Amino acid sequence: MLKTNKMMKLIFLPIIFFFIFFLIVPLLYMFWQSLKKGKAITIQNYVETLQNVEIRDAFLNSFQVSLVAALITTIIAFLLAYAVHFTTMHRSTKKLVQVGITLPMLLPTITYGFVLIYTFGNQGIMTKIFGQPLFTVYGFNGLLIGYVLYTLPVAFILMQNSMQYIDKRFLLVSMLMHDRPLRRFYHTVLRPMLGTIGGAFILSFVLSFTDFGIPASVGGGYKVIATELYQAMLGSIVHFERGAVISIFMLVPAVLGVVMLTILERFNFQYKQVSKSDLVVHRLRDVMFTVFSWVCVGAVFIMFSTIFIVPLTKGYPYDFSFTLEHVKNVLAEQGLKQVYMNSLIVAVLTAVLGVGVAFVAALLNVRTPLKGKKSLDLASMITNTVPGMVLGLSYLFFFTGSSLKGTFLIVIACNIVHFFTTPYLMAKNSLQKMDPTWEVTAELLKDSWLKTVIRVILPNIRPTIYQMFSYYFLNAMVTVSGVIFLVSTKTMLVSTRIKELQHFAKYTDIFVLSIFILCTNLIVKLGCDYIATPKEKTKEHTDEKINSNDVRYS
Amino acid sequence: MLELKNISKNYKDKKVLMNINLNIQPGEIVSLLGPSGCGKTTLLNIILGLTQQTNGQLLYNGQDISNQSMRDRGFNIVFQDFALFPHLNAYDNIVYGLKNIKEAMSKMEVQEYIDFLELTPHLHKKIHELSGGQKQRVSIARTLVMQPKILLLDEPLSALDGVIKESIKERIQSIARQFNLTTIIVTHDPEEALTLSDKVLIINEGTVSQFGTPQEILHTPENQFVEDFILRQLHIKRHNIYQLFGESYA
Repeated sequence: MLKTNKMMKLIFLPIIFFFIFFLIVPLLYMFWQSLKKGKAITIQNYVETLQNVEIRDAFLNSFQVSLVAALITTIIAFLLAYAVHFTTMHRSTKKLVQVGITLPMLLPTITYGFVLIYTFGNQGIMTKIFGQPLFTVYGFNGLLIGYVLYTLPVAFILMQNSMQYIDKRFLLVSMLMHDRPLRRFYHTVLRPMLGTIGGAFILSFVLSFTDFGIPASVGGGYKVIATELYQAMLGSIVHFERGAVISIFMLVPAVLGVVMLTILERFNFQYKQVSKSDLVVHRLRDVMFTVFSWVCVGAVFIMFSTIFIVPLTKGYPYDFSFTLEHVKNVLAEQGLKQVYMNSLIVAVLTAVLGVGVAFVAALLNVRTPLKGKKSLDLASMITNTVPGMVLGLSYLFFFTGSSLKGTFLIVIACNIVHFFTTPYLMAKNSLQKMDPTWEVTAELLKDSWLKTVIRVILPNIRPTIYQMFSYYFLNAMVTVSGVIFLVSTKTMLVSTRIKELQHFAKYTDIFVLSIFILCTNLIVKLGCDYIATPKEKTKEHTDEKINSNDVRYS
Repeated sequence: MLELKNISKNYKDKKVLMNINLNIQPGEIVSLLGPSGCGKTTLLNIILGLTQQTNGQLLYNGQDISNQSMRDRGFNIVFQDFALFPHLNAYDNIVYGLKNIKEAMSKMEVQEYIDFLELTPHLHKKIHELSGGQKQRVSIARTLVMQPKILLLDEPLSALDGVIKESIKERIQSIARQFNLTTIIVTHDPEEALTLSDKVLIINEGTVSQFGTPQEILHTPENQFVEDFILRQLHIKRHNIYQLFGESYA
């Protein structure tokens, strides 16, 4: 058995301090702020906020639209994952779904809103085609479509991971037992998926509830909690206490979500092994799912083509002739180029440092007997629960007046904490799969612990490291809600700049910047995927320990 | 009686099985024995109706079943890893199929099977709480209550520990005798095949190497493959065991 050594303690301390300083203390401080009125400690702020009709309405609105969005997302994601894993539709269609549906992840949510305006709004493509607007895009409808677009990729990935690990041979058993289709569906697909379906629903709900980008662009007069929070903090009249209270309220559904996920865990079970079995060909079913898949992917493509059409045409929607003028203008503008560079710096540093923190935390947790290592799991649970906006706001409260305010460092720290859970769990999963006797073996071969980590662990976890890097980079590139309270004029990012450009109605610039983000993310993602995949594809699933219920918020 | 006539199977250009002929009498236990990749599992799937043969005929009691669906043939299989539904307990797994057939057996009859397989104390356990041998018996019970015309077993012993193996062997034999049930077993272990079955079909590279009783195979191996693959292994085993116990046990 491996013994605790100095080196382990030495790298454990900074990690723990990091989380205390950048997660626990700011949150507690914000909670404290919400209880303060002048010099008194009181619940008066809560009472006042609850008495405010606008905020109550916003809360109800958020609840309503997020609920409907989560419901729709869950159903679509389930059907698409089912199409990929349980039908014999053509392989290229399956690939198309897997790629097409997850494409929106590469863009900031605030862009979705403008895409919707340009697709369904008064000047939108759809409006031109149908002669009149199909519906008002501002408000409930826009939010609903935006949230579905935003949460569909995550819900889909969750479902399809889970379905991948369902033992397909049970379909065969069910057929041998003369099941009718409905009973077969229940026992071989629906029942094993119940936990994940619940997880996807809760996840979609919480993501929608706490997102700022979409309501910031298409919210219109329909007040939601995220925009109210923004108004309270950065609006014309500032109410710090109210902001603190709203963010505490925002935490409530997230906390409830985590509690419910723990309960849902009981519905999950693991298949000891996953065997492949040929799926029965069923023409009608396959045709129906193929059409459904095309419609879904088509809808995503049509909407996102706007991003390219608008800035690359002379005078959308009147003059569709091609031009690079808008792109050149953006490139010529010093400010915008600087903003792009800022984003790049933040994303790279977030990814590099974030991977370091997540890897070391997972390493200490999984492969050392260190005392207090469970605190890292706790940290990961909290970062999973706290919405980006709430975290950002707590920094705003806590670091005001400190020299950290307005620096890149605070933005990067916020990103690292905000997106910590997923990379941490990725690293944990890989480390758990590795042979537990490696450290002892290496010690017997006279390696020090640190040397073992460098010579044995790191080379074996490389593919996961690239995936973690790509996750951090992409999210740092697109996040709005996490950093909206933290950026200064010097540290302005592309995603937050888009929010500003909205005021000047510079939509062409918004789309050009979105294209920059999209391309950057695409390059990083494809690059990481490429170096992460082993060159020969001989992957075996059968012996893998299966965990189909990692549900994460960020 | 089950008859296989000139069964062949190709996957594109690859010949997996070539001209397999085989007669299996009612109540017989027959093992399909061969190294991995020889085509024995493919043959099992063809009998089950899961895989369509490229050429040849299958007859059951004189009736041509070559193009009958898996469902209509009424054969059933116990998988190597048992494939029990993890969300149901042992009992619910056993009676799973009863809801689907019109002339299902009564509760009493089901209980008889449960008693026979000595599963009564385990009925309300969850699947992951059962031992390997218990899972195996639950899986067999689930298949038997469907009253299959032929019972197919895919590597029934390979997932079990040493001691359990011997008792499950006896169990399989007594099932076949008790219910006069034709039983076909796939295995790669010569000892298993020869001690368990009435007849053994040795398959090598998609063709029948020899078909006969264990005695015939032991005493009159028909070719080099049978000698190398089957007999040599058994000789080494016998040698090792004699050495352990001393020659006096011979």
